[in-house]
Formats: sequence, C-alpha cells, structure tokens
Amino acid sequence: MSSHGLLLAAYVPGSSLIHRAPLWLKFLLVVGCGMASFLIADWAVSAVVMTLLCGLFLLSGAGPARLLRAVRPVLPVLLAIGLFQWWQLGAPTAARIVLNVLVCVVAASILTATTPVQALLDGVASLARPFRRFGADPERFALTIAIMLRSIPFVAGAYMDVRDSARARGLERNPRALVLPVFISTVAFARQTGEALAARGLGEPEDPED
Amino acid sequence: MLDRVTVRVSVDGRPAPKTLLEELSLNLTERRIGVIGANGSGKSTLLRLLNGLVPPSDGTVRVDGADTVRAVREVRRRVGFVFTDPLSQLVMPTGREDVELSLRRSIRNAAARRAHAESVLDRFGLLPLADQSIYELSGGERQLLALAAVLAVDPQVLVLDEPSTLLDLRNRELLRRTLAGLRQQVILSTHDLELARDMDRVLVVDDGKVVFDGRAAAAVAHYRDLSAAGLPAPGGGPAGSGLGGLGGELAVPEQAGGRPERAGLEKA
Amino acid sequence: MTQTENPTKARAPRRRSRWNATDLGLIAVFAALVAGSALIAAIPVGGLGVPITLQTLAVMLTGLALGPARAFAAVGLYLLLGFAGLPIFSGGRSGLGVLAGPSAGYIIGFLLAATAVGWLAVVVLARTAKRTGKLRPILLFAAAMVSSIIFIHGLGILGMMVNAKLDFSKAFLADLAFYPGDIIKNVLAVSIALALHKAFPDLLLRRVRTADTRP
Repeated sequence: MSSHGLLLAAYVPGSSLIHRAPLWLKFLLVVGCGMASFLIADWAVSAVVMTLLCGLFLLSGAGPARLLRAVRPVLPVLLAIGLFQWWQLGAPTAARIVLNVLVCVVAASILTATTPVQALLDGVASLARPFRRFGADPERFALTIAIMLRSIPFVAGAYMDVRDSARARGLERNPRALVLPVFISTVAFARQTGEALAARGLGEPEDPED
Repeated sequence: MLDRVTVRVSVDGRPAPKTLLEELSLNLTERRIGVIGANGSGKSTLLRLLNGLVPPSDGTVRVDGADTVRAVREVRRRVGFVFTDPLSQLVMPTGREDVELSLRRSIRNAAARRAHAESVLDRFGLLPLADQSIYELSGGERQLLALAAVLAVDPQVLVLDEPSTLLDLRNRELLRRTLAGLRQQVILSTHDLELARDMDRVLVVDDGKVVFDGRAAAAVAHYRDLSAAGLPAPGGGPAGSGLGGLGGELAVPEQAGGRPERAGLEKA
Repeated sequence: MTQTENPTKARAPRRRSRWNATDLGLIAVFAALVAGSALIAAIPVGGLGVPITLQTLAVMLTGLALGPARAFAAVGLYLLLGFAGLPIFSGGRSGLGVLAGPSAGYIIGFLLAATAVGWLAVVVLARTAKRTGKLRPILLFAAAMVSSIIFIHGLGILGMMVNAKLDFSKAFLADLAFYPGDIIKNVLAVSIALALHKAFPDLLLRRVRTADTRP
C-alpha cells in the first residue's frame, strides 16, 4: 500500500522560471506538443523540438537523471517501433515517429515535474468550470480525480495479490477464482469510499431538490 | 441532539426482504450514548440512520428537527460520522490535505482553509505528521486523524462506528480521553466494554431489536448474559450455570456473530 | 446504499439522474482499475509494440458492471488523466503522444467499447430478468464480443493504419494476434460481472429492475 508515490513522485519542488510559469501555459505546452506530433513531417524538426524541450526540462532543475527515468519506461516499446518502422519505411520516418513520441513524454514530464498534484487538481477543476452550464460540477470532478489517484495503489496491490496467488497455486487452475477476489474487493472498496464521502457531506450533488 | 428516531429498516433482498432493524422509537438526548451488541445485530444500521447513510424504510429520523431523508445535507453538516477503519474514510494521501478537503465547502479561501486545517491538526497533536502519507501513520494516529477531519467542520453530534476495534490498548486509551474531552454529543457503537462504561446511556441491540436501554453498568451486565446464553459452556452444560462470573467473561462478544462488522455496511 | 429505494430525491426531471457519492466512488475506482490493469504485466506482442494486458478485461468489465453512463465516465476519466500526463497507459506511457503511436486506436476504442457493452448489458439484464439458465451469460458474452470487435479491434486496426502506416491487410493480421486473448478475457469479464451483480445487487441489477417496473 505504501507505493503511493509510484506515479506521482515526479514533482520536484523548486522556484525555477518553469515552476513559476502559469499552469495554463504548461498545459498548453503539453497539448501543443501532442498536436505537433501529428503535424511535424520532418525528423530534423522533431529533433530540434526534442532538444528544446530537454533544455527546458533541465532548466527546471529537476536534473538529467529524472529526465531519463521519465523516458525509460517508453524506451523498449519505442525501440521495437523504431526498428519495425526502419525496416518498413526507412530511417527518416522511423526517427520522426520515435522522436515525436519522446517529445510528448518530455513535455508531459515538464508539467508534472514542476507542478504539485494539488495545483494540478485545482487546474483541472478550473478547466472544467466552463462545462458547468452542461451540468458539470468542477468540485465533484476534482474530487473524483483525487479518489482515483488514491485508489491506484489499492488496485495495484490487489493485482499483485492475484499475481502472487497465481504463482502459488498455478495459473492453470480456474482463472476466474483467481481474479474474482480482486474485483469483489475493489467494488467493496469503491462503495466504502463512496459511503465515507457521503458521510462527510462530500461528493453528493448540490441541492438535489431543485 | 437527536430528538426523534422512529424507524424500521429493511432491504429488498432475495429470496425475501430482510429486516435489519425492527420498529423502534427513541429519543437520543444524553451527551454520551453507547450502542453495544453482537456483530450483525443492527448496531451499524442504527448508527447509519443517524446521518442519513441508511434511509429508514418506514418512519423518520430527525436531528434537531431536520429529517435525515429530506434534509440530508443539513443533517450531515450537523452529524459527523467516523468509521471503524480510518483508511476507508481518509480520502487524501496526507492528513493536511484530508482536513483541507473537509473544509473545502465551508472555507472558500485557500489560505484561510490552510490555516484552519493547521489549527485543527494542532489541537489533536497531529501537526508534526501533517505531511506524512496516511499509510505511514500508526492505527491510532490514523483514527485520530479521521476524527480530526470530521471535527474540522464542527458538527453538533459525533457518531462513531466501533472506533476502537482496530486499536491497541494504548491507542484505545488515547481515543477514550479524546472523546471524553469533546463538547459534541457522542453516539458510538463498540465491543469495548470499558469504553461503553464511560457512557451516560447504553442501548443493547440484538437481532435488529433494542433489548435494553439504560445505565451503562446495567446494560453491560445485560449484554454479558445475552452473549453467554446459548453458548456451550467449557464444562459442557449451558453457560452461566454454576460458572459464576467466569462464564460471562468467557463469552467474548466478538466471536458470537462470526461475520466481520463490515457486514453492516454491505447489507446497508 | 440503495438509492433506487429512495425516490424522494435525485429523480427530479433533470437532464440526467445525478450521481451520488457512491457513484463517484465507483467511477473513480473503476478508472483506477483500468489504469492498474495497464501497468501490471504488459507483454509486447510481435514487433509492433502494442502490448497485451489485462486492460481489455478491465475495460469490458467496467461496462458490464456499471452500465453505459458510469462506464463512459470511468474510462473517460482514465483517458483524460493519461492524456494529461499521468503515466497510466500500457507500458507506463502517458500524454497525447500515445495518439501518435500505433495503439492510439485501441485506447480510443476502449471508451466506446465500454459504453457500448454497458448499454447492451442493461438491455440484456432487463430482458432476461425473469429467465434463469445460460441465456443471460451467452447474450452478455455476445454483447462483449460485438462491442470489442467493432470498437476495440476496428479502431485498433484503423490506428495502426494511420499511425504506423500499415496497409489494411498487415494491420488486420497484427490485430488478429489479440483475438484469442480477447475471447478468453471476455468470457472472464462476463463471469466476473455476473458474480459482482450477485454480490452487489444494487450495483446495476436493481437499477435495471426498478427502471423496468416503473410505468
């Protein structure tokens, strides 16, 4: 259960220019890079963008080790894609595709490394504010995100239990019996969480009467 | 103050609807009220009625005039609820964030909210642990934090569902002292007979019925007899016959029902 | 909590029935379930780098367990946070970059497939309310297969064609590798969903039943 930091530890406290940059600008950077990865057709342009972003990341003071750690999980998959594309479509296209994915990863890392989770949630809640007229409730939206984040360690723990019991008992025995407890306990956990929220007066729709 | 509880609770189950709590009518006005009974007896259902977590099938529950179905938001502002397992209640990764979450509706300004959260944590001696992961706290610290997060919004009534079940002796003592010092009305269910003895009034619940209602000492004695009845005594004869006080001591209530207390939650 | 037995509130003629705290809890935890399934044991298949995970199981189960609206919200929340930068796509990837990758079609397919199977599940549960026997599981399995073939495999192939520049036959063959696993996962998802509805009748079953008996 203590693996809470697993996904969210990326934030590095600091006071760099990037830390102080407004959240919307950083959001825009991430979205912009996502768009760019569709539009950039030349691998050299991708490489330049990639270099710029890496520079920006290092400017935040988070350090090259952290940059490497952010990129590392993607590398095996990217390597496979890269080799396949090289074989299929040649080196320039392969380089472009791989670099464009890396551009997005680094851009997202710049955002998460320089923004605390609470600020991210507040940002998401304010992003959702314009949708209020369609019946959205930004507070409940942010709350749901917070619950999801806190549930990931629980769910990961439950999956680990399955893996362990699969090792102990063998996968060839009834797979349903193996995974069913994960889902039963997960639903029970979800309802417990919902009840706890309700008891604290959180998460219920605003003024159900009107 | 709960001025009127007149209810029956049943759920639409299969094959037949199941009654969790028989018809009852109560005025809960004492400052410290305990509810004791075996697992699955209806304790949890009774407590969950008090802040609208369980709606009554018949009748009404009112907190200072506010109906728990029609004015559920108002009722939940007035009645704080603490669960047995603080981990099911604490929503945020750290204590500070969890208390701030409680305050989100009442204090809009972030700085004011932060300041108030710190004063609440400080009152319970939790300020040094404010930024620690809730998973790294001890069971007692977690239960105290859950209590702090609920009391942060200053409810009039505090309902606790077996608050000491997961605590060791030392933390139970800490909880008892904390509860004794609260100015709120306290209504709790417990298997901890020592905690029950601190109460001004104790209800004994058995099989969905309130079977005893009165002073703590008498209620605990009644509950002991009830738990012992029907259990085979160690000697073979019926419990209580010729074993004196010992038979009562042996009838550990936690083992009588068999099912964990979560049962109440799931049925509800 | 049996909100269906509590008709005094939340049933006002609004745009939609509003979710209570338990619904929010379910949406959030199922979103986490989909995220967790992507992170555990991802096996890259072939040279393409579209990894096999328990994810389709979690996605289909979300639809079968929660019904269309809440399943859409849960999978949508997962996608949103993944796009926003949380490393919860298979293999620990994140960000809008996945939309440029070969598995983009699958990821978008999840959202539509969960919603579709949720909608079909409600129909099946309502129609088979009075029947016992094998009909319900068989129909639910059919619903899961149809949804995943149309949305997950259909969009998955399209994604590989657009992003990996494969022609249709190559993409189709690459996608074929997922079928055996998917059939097993859909069988599992249906049997788990039925067990969940037995354990928690108010998860979806009682909603369906009360909606059905309402005039």
